[in-house]
Amino acid sequence: MNKKLSILLLLTATFGVACRKNTKDFDGPSINDIYSSFKVLETFKADRDSVNFSSGQNVIFTAKFNKIVDWTITIKGAVSKSTKEIKGTSKNIDASNATWNGSATKFPVFTQENCTVKLTIKDVADTFSVAEKIVGTKKIVGFIVADFETGLKQGWTKFAQTGANMDFQVKTDSLAPEGKKYLNMAGTVNWDWLIGLIDFPATAYGTAKTFPLNTNPDAVYFNCLVYGVPNTNPSLVLFQFKEDENADGTINANNEDEYDYQVAVDWVGWKLISIKYSDLTYLVNGVPASPKGNGLRNPDKLGKISMLHLANPNDGFASSKLDLMVFTENGALQP
Amino acid sequence: MKRINKNLNYNLVILLLCSSLNLFAQKEKKVTFIGGARSIMTNNNLVVNDTLASDTTTAKRNTGGYALIDLGVNIKPNKNTEIMGMFRIRNGFGGFWGSAVTFDVRQIYMKGIVANTIRYQLGDLNLKQTPFTLYNHHADAIDSLPTIFNLQRNIVNYEKFYMNNTWRMQGANVDFGLTFKDYIKEVNFTGFITRLNATNFSNVPERLMSGAVIDVMQSKKIRIGYNVNSVFDVLGTVKDSNVFKNNVQSLDAKFNTKIGQQILTLKGEVGNSNYKYSLDTLAPNLKDYFAHATATITLPKYFLNATVGYLNVGSEYRSIGAQSKDINYNALPAYYDRYTNAQSVRPLGLMDVISNDNLYNRTLNSKLMTTNNVFNNAMPYGLATFNRVGLYSTIQYKKDIDASVSYYNLSEIKGQGTLALRKFSILKMNAMVPLNKFLNLKNKLEFQVGGMLQNTNRNSDSLVENVRFKNTQATVGIRYELFKDFDLLAGYILQNTKGDEFIADRNDYTEVTYYNQQKYNLKQQIKAFGFRYNFTPKIYISAIYQQGEYIDALRLHADYKINQFGIIYNMLF
Repeated sequence: MNKKLSILLLLTATFGVACRKNTKDFDGPSINDIYSSFKVLETFKADRDSVNFSSGQNVIFTAKFNKIVDWTITIKGAVSKSTKEIKGTSKNIDASNATWNGSATKFPVFTQENCTVKLTIKDVADTFSVAEKIVGTKKIVGFIVADFETGLKQGWTKFAQTGANMDFQVKTDSLAPEGKKYLNMAGTVNWDWLIGLIDFPATAYGTAKTFPLNTNPDAVYFNCLVYGVPNTNPSLVLFQFKEDENADGTINANNEDEYDYQVAVDWVGWKLISIKYSDLTYLVNGVPASPKGNGLRNPDKLGKISMLHLANPNDGFASSKLDLMVFTENGALQP
Repeated sequence: MKRINKNLNYNLVILLLCSSLNLFAQKEKKVTFIGGARSIMTNNNLVVNDTLASDTTTAKRNTGGYALIDLGVNIKPNKNTEIMGMFRIRNGFGGFWGSAVTFDVRQIYMKGIVANTIRYQLGDLNLKQTPFTLYNHHADAIDSLPTIFNLQRNIVNYEKFYMNNTWRMQGANVDFGLTFKDYIKEVNFTGFITRLNATNFSNVPERLMSGAVIDVMQSKKIRIGYNVNSVFDVLGTVKDSNVFKNNVQSLDAKFNTKIGQQILTLKGEVGNSNYKYSLDTLAPNLKDYFAHATATITLPKYFLNATVGYLNVGSEYRSIGAQSKDINYNALPAYYDRYTNAQSVRPLGLMDVISNDNLYNRTLNSKLMTTNNVFNNAMPYGLATFNRVGLYSTIQYKKDIDASVSYYNLSEIKGQGTLALRKFSILKMNAMVPLNKFLNLKNKLEFQVGGMLQNTNRNSDSLVENVRFKNTQATVGIRYELFKDFDLLAGYILQNTKGDEFIADRNDYTEVTYYNQQKYNLKQQIKAFGFRYNFTPKIYISAIYQQGEYIDALRLHADYKINQFGIIYNMLF
């Protein structure tokens, strides 16, 4: 063995591997982001001061800071008192994390009105504001099952028990979260869980026996605004999705699928509830069970929706409100 | 291959790497007893200097101690087999009628030779490979520990089986060697498998470590080795099929030659590591490499040798075998673990680190252990500290005076929370001076002195990222032989820690999740004096009085002082 060669090989190997590439990143979070004092590098701005959401316009907010911070943009309607909150944790506020499409976080929805937009930053006392004017409101994109703006539609079937203080009517007042009307549901039924129900058959919307929905249950979302009334007994709102699998115009409960979505109304005020069609389950007395049809969730075969207002008969008076039942595609509703 | 076979000396010769046994002695006893005994008595007093209110909650006086005997039976049923079992009986003082008596197996192993060819050992093993594969670095130990403190430190070493940078493990080890006539002098093979942790049949999998070394000695001048070490979970020992693996391999070589009267020794090692979980999508796959090379020139005429070294360990280099620390900084001290009226956890001080054996690990830890920058900020995992590159040099003089000076100049490879890199420098100086030779004294008078300065700096455009951290340590020790076998001992250690540094929080995958900014202005010192009487070289009794002091100028922890008087009786047989 050539000794010189072996030494050379050893040294070459040692120093050869020692030539590292310069790294352009670092381990862990940025120390600067954690410990430096907060500075605004670019002031808080909106890319437009008036917006027409109905024509597809959006508002993009921007700002730049010297470190990563937890920020919240709060948009408040001067008339509707509607609120939209956009939250983030970043150094930069830009189109990727602060684009407003006209939707609301707290209802009612925005109307054509002036808005104040406020940026607050965690652990920073200063707030930053811009003004915005809505000249066109956001359009609802999807299949609207009910918005109650024209009352109860012909073709829907309503049933209400004959209990005390019963109210199963469409109302027009300032509580309406979208438009001017909503469905009020209230009453005392001390012999049954059911207070009232409305059936929404597909035939109420045209000649088709099923709703015009996508075939893919992962793409279809059911949405509804539900109002929790303060200081009343808890309500349950049960949505039943009944499929007409053989498209004969008749829903057969013994051999066709039904899927359900039961909502315990345990909040106060309006809240948007959304569920993907593929996440619906068949319920018997609130307990998941096997559906009786083909066991496949087929939104395109949905023949009828039933909305039931329920409450424990031992509780007494129960009340809740409903508005804007709508199917959307590829995501939940952003009203 | 044919050539090698041709040159094989068909008499396979066993190359015994350890020489503790002479298995071929004709008149050797079949059963021998070995072991040790120790008794320690201590009387401690705690003084707390709390700025809020005087500590009326903590019991300040503490007396304790124990007596123990380690009795080992060494059985040699035949010339090729040895069995060793050692039992420990320990009695805590104050525990009468057996209430504080414990009875343990301290060590057990079997070893021998198969067919005069392969040496094996089963049971307890002391294992070591290279500093980057499997090695107990004792990275935070004080290099120039005065004799009076070494008496206590040696108890830790005995308790934890710390010998020549080995780790104590349990498993099986085999080794054998081949000799050749030409070109290659000999080839040695070593392989082992050990258990790091046992499964609980629920969520902790069986974790093993295996390793192998192939050592090729071409001549007295040239040696090349291949080392592999693997820590892995055994699939199927728990329901979860996500298994951990940490593979390390390296190639090391040594060359030495005479240049006139001088001896030049070149050493080098290069290797890489892979650290991963098989199915955990959150877990990173850490891969990196290291390189280490030294050149040493020995000048016998001047009793000097000098070394220059180059070190480059990647930021994602992970080696459980080489990056396990001997000390567990998360453990509580043996006494006064809480203090002040708030009963806060007492921060570990020098006295704990030197003498509390319950802070130390007997074996490897399979997770990256916590470091403590008060005791070592620059190289907390020794040479295997990841994310370090730089040069170092050492000069050692050894005649009457034994003195050495080392200097390390290192830098990070990858920034920690910033692109700016930290720079480290370490300066160490130690000397042992036999004053009796210079003063023409009949009795031994040895003077020990040592110093260490660690600097950590980071300069960044963003001032908040800057680091200024300094750790200084000074040691002084004296040993005077008053009369034959009776030594008077004294020692002093001073350690100052000052500046700002960021401490990384790491998750189970060793990734940094946060940086905690820490400020230090800490002074620690221990003063000790006492005596030792050596009955024989293996049996002594000593009495030591020492005072450990912890003074935090920033008042992050309450200052305290521990006064301790102890008597140690120690014997080995």
